[in-house]
Amino acid sequence: MAMRRRTLLKVIVLGDSGVGKTSLMNQYVHKKFSQQYKATIGADFVTKELQIDDRLVTLQIWDTAGQERFQSLGVAFYRGADCCALVYDVNVIKSFDNLDNWHEEFLKQANPTDPRTFPFMLLGNKIDIDGGNSRVVSEKKAKDWCASNGNIPYFETSAKEDINVDAAFLSIAKAALANEREQDIYFQGVPEAVTETEQRSGCAC
Amino acid sequence: MLNGIEDEEKWLAEGIAGIQHYAFFMHRALDSNNLREALKYSAQMLSELRTSKLPPHKYYELYMRAFDELKRLELFFKDDSKHGVSVVDLYELVQHAGNILPRLYLLCTVGSIYIKSKEAPAKEILKDLVEMCRGVQHPIRGLFLRSYLAQISRDKLPDIGSEYEGDADSVMDAVEFVLQNFTEMNKLWGRMQHQGPGRVREKREKERSELQDLVGKNLHVLSQIEGVDLEMYKETVLPRVLEQVVNCKDDLAQYYLMDCIIQVFPDEYHLQTLETLMSACPQLQPTVDVKTVLSRLMDRLSNYAASSADVLPEFLQVEAFSKLSNAIGKVIEAQVDMPAVGAITLYVSLLTFTLRVHPDRLDHVDQVLGACVKKLSNIPKLEDRWAMKQVVALLSAPLEKYNDIVTALTLSNYPRVMDHLDIGTNKVMAMVIIQSIMKNYSCISTADKVEVLFELIKGLIKDIDGADVEELDEEDFKEEQNSVARLIHMLYNDEPEEMFKIICIVRKHTMAGGPKRLPFTVSSLVFSALRLVRQLQGLEGDIVGEDMPVTPKKIFQLLTQMIDSLSAVPSPELALRLYLQCAEAANCCDLEHLAYEFFTQAFVLYEEEIADSKAQVTAIHLIIGTLQRMNVFGVENRDTLTHKATGYSARLLKKADQCRAVYACSHLFWVDDQDGIKDGERVLLCLKRALRIANAAQQMANAARGSGGPVTLFVEILNKYLYFFEKGNRQITSSAIQGLIELINTETQSDSTNPDSISDAFLASTLRYIQFQKQKGGITGEKFESIKL
Repeated sequence: MAMRRRTLLKVIVLGDSGVGKTSLMNQYVHKKFSQQYKATIGADFVTKELQIDDRLVTLQIWDTAGQERFQSLGVAFYRGADCCALVYDVNVIKSFDNLDNWHEEFLKQANPTDPRTFPFMLLGNKIDIDGGNSRVVSEKKAKDWCASNGNIPYFETSAKEDINVDAAFLSIAKAALANEREQDIYFQGVPEAVTETEQRSGCAC
Repeated sequence: MLNGIEDEEKWLAEGIAGIQHYAFFMHRALDSNNLREALKYSAQMLSELRTSKLPPHKYYELYMRAFDELKRLELFFKDDSKHGVSVVDLYELVQHAGNILPRLYLLCTVGSIYIKSKEAPAKEILKDLVEMCRGVQHPIRGLFLRSYLAQISRDKLPDIGSEYEGDADSVMDAVEFVLQNFTEMNKLWGRMQHQGPGRVREKREKERSELQDLVGKNLHVLSQIEGVDLEMYKETVLPRVLEQVVNCKDDLAQYYLMDCIIQVFPDEYHLQTLETLMSACPQLQPTVDVKTVLSRLMDRLSNYAASSADVLPEFLQVEAFSKLSNAIGKVIEAQVDMPAVGAITLYVSLLTFTLRVHPDRLDHVDQVLGACVKKLSNIPKLEDRWAMKQVVALLSAPLEKYNDIVTALTLSNYPRVMDHLDIGTNKVMAMVIIQSIMKNYSCISTADKVEVLFELIKGLIKDIDGADVEELDEEDFKEEQNSVARLIHMLYNDEPEEMFKIICIVRKHTMAGGPKRLPFTVSSLVFSALRLVRQLQGLEGDIVGEDMPVTPKKIFQLLTQMIDSLSAVPSPELALRLYLQCAEAANCCDLEHLAYEFFTQAFVLYEEEIADSKAQVTAIHLIIGTLQRMNVFGVENRDTLTHKATGYSARLLKKADQCRAVYACSHLFWVDDQDGIKDGERVLLCLKRALRIANAAQQMANAARGSGGPVTLFVEILNKYLYFFEKGNRQITSSAIQGLIELINTETQSDSTNPDSISDAFLASTLRYIQFQKQKGGITGEKFESIKL
């Protein structure tokens, strides 16, 4: 059967300021990297189209401000997210320690239908710095955190050297796709509008 | 007020329901490729955004719902095979929507596709859109509309290397577009505070801050445009942005936007445009917290400097320090109401900056301190606790950076800043300084530096006039004074002359400390001085004549005065110990009369000041021990002193103490050195006397308690006998030893009702020792053979 609609997947990228969220996105979408630090204000997204199996997917990646004072309007944009990518800097212990906060806040604010199964992803960025000698968070430590937070998949990345960036986002897209429940408007309190081609398995209430 | 929030929740829910309702029909239209219906229902859906009832936070939620729906609409618009209308015509068609707000949202949505289609240059469409949006002048609605425009246009700006890049200068077009949107948004934002009556003003302010990121976002977009290089930033972007910031005359906006500029653009750009940026500061509204802005800038640049040594030359090239320093000066001057803590925080940031960027420029450091002094001088009395904390931070920074108090001591303004501290803070700072010295094993080696140092820490050294007499916790006081005592040992110079000067300076300062402090400080200083004496003694052989101005005699004079001062405390036990130390040192220098004098002083203290029996025991043993090591005395002097020692020993209060002191005196008559005295008779006399005392003690115990006391004393004396026997004192005979052993056995048996395991064990091991010696063979074996067990 031909794909009748494109799938739009919404991904939120969270993490402390300076860990590399914007850089990861720029590398993934534009294949560009800049060493200079430029803070992000508010939240904004970029889109990237990719093919997963037989589906054409538009990934809407939301980049957020790490510095709290640049989130003045709140996080209404979390709503409808299909996946959340948490980013930390492997050379800055505080950015790792704050992951719990980001994780918790997101679940609280986005309020997904099933918090236990909502797909997260962890990205440990800046593995390139100093040949890895200034790392303060080991891979094991990160993986332990992932395991104790619902077996979150983990990627070690470098936006600068373009290491694992594509792989990470592909994985994010797949996870989002797997979790996606199309908020089909047909099924929101207007039962007589169901057409036979739109029949889906599962509950239609 | 709670009602207000409930109402808002209700309206939001209604708005969301409205959007969902029309979106449902819109989707049906999309699925049946019905453009007309799609436009109709999308316009109705967007009409929900025409509400005036929602505060920004909640409007944002509503907006996001509409936004998600518009994404789907966009997809439909894009595929003209579905609706058969060209994008050019579509652009025209949507302008027929009834109300302006839905009309403009639809226009922007189509505009996005229009740009993508490349049927017209991006810049023209963008220009059209940004102008059309003027139609909405309501602040919240207008801000969100323009935010939508910014969002959908972001990836379609005619940037360098973008597919929408036009001919030359297209980056300029992109920049123009963003700047214009920014300017309009800032105006809308600024208008908010003028709306509504005075009592809702506070609510307005809160709402305004919620909206700030919509405006700030434009700056972020500018920073991400690749074509905006340093040149363009310098020539166009920054001046235009600053113009808008200054002209809006709105303090909330100005503070926020300055902060944004600093955070959003790279460090390199800031360095190269410092002057422009700084010149904007005085033009801002007086209520703007410029100091925080400047502090953040400096912190950012400090981090940049710390990140890599390569960037440092840039800082020098742009004269960053002087520009920042001037700017700060102007701000502090202009804002007369700025509290002290604000100014000092600025100086702390500036100091951190210069320590990171030009640590070798001590003149910069001194300059910052000088500016701080000037500010502090204008304040009658600094009482603010936070300000004090900042001053401590200011003074600690050079210490931490240079790891060397000596460098800090060369800063002429350093002591001046400390002068402005209140006593409590001065002491805190003094401790910080001492800790720094101890941690780094810094050695302060010249008299002038010591002078400066003691001026700095004077809060610890003496009671300052006019200070509140705080009840200082005793533990804290001890810690303070112990620190000072430790510090004294860090003041050292190899050169005896310089060292002597140092000692004199320290003495001068510590003498003013008063009776509470002297016991701590005098000991340290005494040992320091004694160390010098010994050093001189070591040198003496090489120096010809009395050319050297510093002599041991001079130092001993000083020492005497120092120890004398302890009488004011009074601290006789400590003084006694110190006199004995001096005696030993005098002994090393062959100064007989001085050594005698010191012993005299010690004895005087013993006689007149030390009344406590326990203290007496300790003191007399110290005297005996020291005296034993004296080799400088002639016969007469020696006799006098030993006679005194033995006399006092025999007159201690408790018999046991007497006994022990007396047998200790035996060592006064037997020194194991080659030339040492070896008066066997007098040794025996002491031991016998000790025996008599021990006997008397036994008798007294019998009388008082009905049984003998422990025989430990006898065993101890026995051991002394053995010692001298072994050393070759002929007066100690084996039969005497045997007799003593028998005596001990007798005493032990007669007192079998009270077994004393300690003395038993002691005796047993003594006897084992004798056996052991016997088995050694040779001379020792022969000697011990004669002792029959």
